[in-house]
Amino acid sequence: MNMIHVQGLEKSYGNLEALKGVSFDVERGEIVGFLGPNGAGKSTTMKILTGYLVPDSGSCRVAGIEVTPGDPSSRRSVGYLPESTPLYRGMRVDRYLDFVAGIHGQDRAERRASVGRVIEACRLGRHAGRRIGWLSKGFRQRVGLAQALLGNPDVLILDEPTSGLDPREVVRMRDLILELGKEKTVLLSTHILSEVEATCSRVIVIAGGQLVADATPFEIARSRAAELTVVLRVPSDQIQGFDAAAIGRDFAHVPGVARLVSAEDCGGGTARLVLDVNRAPGSVATSGEPVAEMVADALAKRGWKLSELTWQGDDFEAAFLEITDPERIALVGPLVREQPFLAEELEELTEPILSTRTPRSGDAPTGGNK
Amino acid sequence: MSTEWGTMLWVFRRELGARFDSLSALTVTIVFALVAHGLYYFLGHPVGDLQLPSLWAGQVASLQVVFAWLPLLFVGLIPALTMGAWAEERASGTQELLFTWPVSGRASVLGKFFAVWFFLGLVLAVAILPLAVMVAGLGDLDWGAVFGGLAGAFLLAGACISISLFLSSLFTEQLSAFLSSALLLGLLWSAGLLIHVMPPSLADAVFYASPYSHFFDSAARGVFDLRDLIYHVSLMVAGLWCNTLVVEGRRWA
Repeated sequence: MNMIHVQGLEKSYGNLEALKGVSFDVERGEIVGFLGPNGAGKSTTMKILTGYLVPDSGSCRVAGIEVTPGDPSSRRSVGYLPESTPLYRGMRVDRYLDFVAGIHGQDRAERRASVGRVIEACRLGRHAGRRIGWLSKGFRQRVGLAQALLGNPDVLILDEPTSGLDPREVVRMRDLILELGKEKTVLLSTHILSEVEATCSRVIVIAGGQLVADATPFEIARSRAAELTVVLRVPSDQIQGFDAAAIGRDFAHVPGVARLVSAEDCGGGTARLVLDVNRAPGSVATSGEPVAEMVADALAKRGWKLSELTWQGDDFEAAFLEITDPERIALVGPLVREQPFLAEELEELTEPILSTRTPRSGDAPTGGNK
Repeated sequence: MSTEWGTMLWVFRRELGARFDSLSALTVTIVFALVAHGLYYFLGHPVGDLQLPSLWAGQVASLQVVFAWLPLLFVGLIPALTMGAWAEERASGTQELLFTWPVSGRASVLGKFFAVWFFLGLVLAVAILPLAVMVAGLGDLDWGAVFGGLAGAFLLAGACISISLFLSSLFTEQLSAFLSSALLLGLLWSAGLLIHVMPPSLADAVFYASPYSHFFDSAARGVFDLRDLIYHVSLMVAGLWCNTLVVEGRRWA
């Protein structure tokens, strides 16, 4: 079932067109990263989903309930953490949470249980008796998340949940979101791209009020992969008359390869080819890895051994910059896969990123992956 | 609907709690009580049509002087109590959560209104009942007139609070909210003074429109008038309705 359904949202603030017809769906149990440059319309979309704003046109459903102004029923299924974490700072943490639980219509016993549950889940125990205004940013953020969880909603909408947190808190928040994602549908916006790779099974990118990508982090990173390095070895009977350049020229005709960048003879019948696949037809990895597969097929056909196949520029950050580039959007259109996502497929696709990704310079110092 | 009533009570509780939590509420109460007592003992009410001597000068066992001053004191007190109610929610962004929780605009408007009204009732009681007890010790006090006056003042306060809360919902800055509603309430109060210099037809209309004229000639003198009740209640309903329209209308902003 679609837990979030967004159809043709349009919204203007005066002359400024914040959203120009955004549509997407989020399935139950997905953790979806919602990305885009500042002013792209992320917060506006989230505010519409939570019922805080009414769109000029278009509609949305949350947990199957149409979001309608004046009708709070869809809001019961949504937990929302706004961007600036606006909390009543004069209140004690436990009283604040008790108040929010009360607002959700819980009776005394339910309130005690649910407040205890979220204090436990967000590890707020030691600070339950303190005033919210006295807490550090990290703990305030946890209170913000705790209030979003109080109504036990099916859908969580988190607007930049890790902004302004120190690296240790970022990791804690990330773990918490992963934990929550086991039972809930999460739509989270962020500017920290490594976080998206670590937590999200899918990424929706908007820029200039329009959808520019809807794919897995893996696919988005791979979409930019500009160069494919192939190290191959020919059988010993073919070492005689071995010509790396000729092999390279041969590979330039493999479908998906735009041109040969370099061909190097590494000796012993081994050649190292660098192929430019960027912007070549089919290179955008929206349906698996056609180029790599084609190259592998070409090798097998000739009876050559593949020693190494590496993507260069397989970089989420660079890919993000590229897909949100207005010129590129005008040129090639949005990066959206044609077939729907399957749950097993998502698991498979995100797994390597979650478990084997090597830390990069952009990562938080403590940013180990779970 | 019972859930709407329930959420309204939660908003009420939070608003009232926030008032007791902050020092400003205590300060406002103390200043109000001191000013009311000072005026009662030493100045009397030498303003407008209702000229009254102070307690020491007049030697009359009546609280009429205090009641005569209340409308002007409300001009300062009520905007101080209401200015933050909506402006602060907007400035700090907390309304974004308030309006994404399952609370109707009407419930939050009513919750805030009743919280301020209830608090003001406490302030009135704390400031005026000690005076009444003291005067009753000195002479023969008409308790009926005291409670009639208090009830009338409470009603008048309700009308002023609903107007002030509505104005607070139009601003993001508390100071702007305070100044605009103090200005409006002040103008309404001074309308009573200007009636003599107005053409008679206009004077009549202004006199009936001003909330204060529904207090001075009746409740302030210890007389309870049903028409005043209807007047004040309709003003409250109108103010709260506009307030709800404004806060719910923000969703279309």
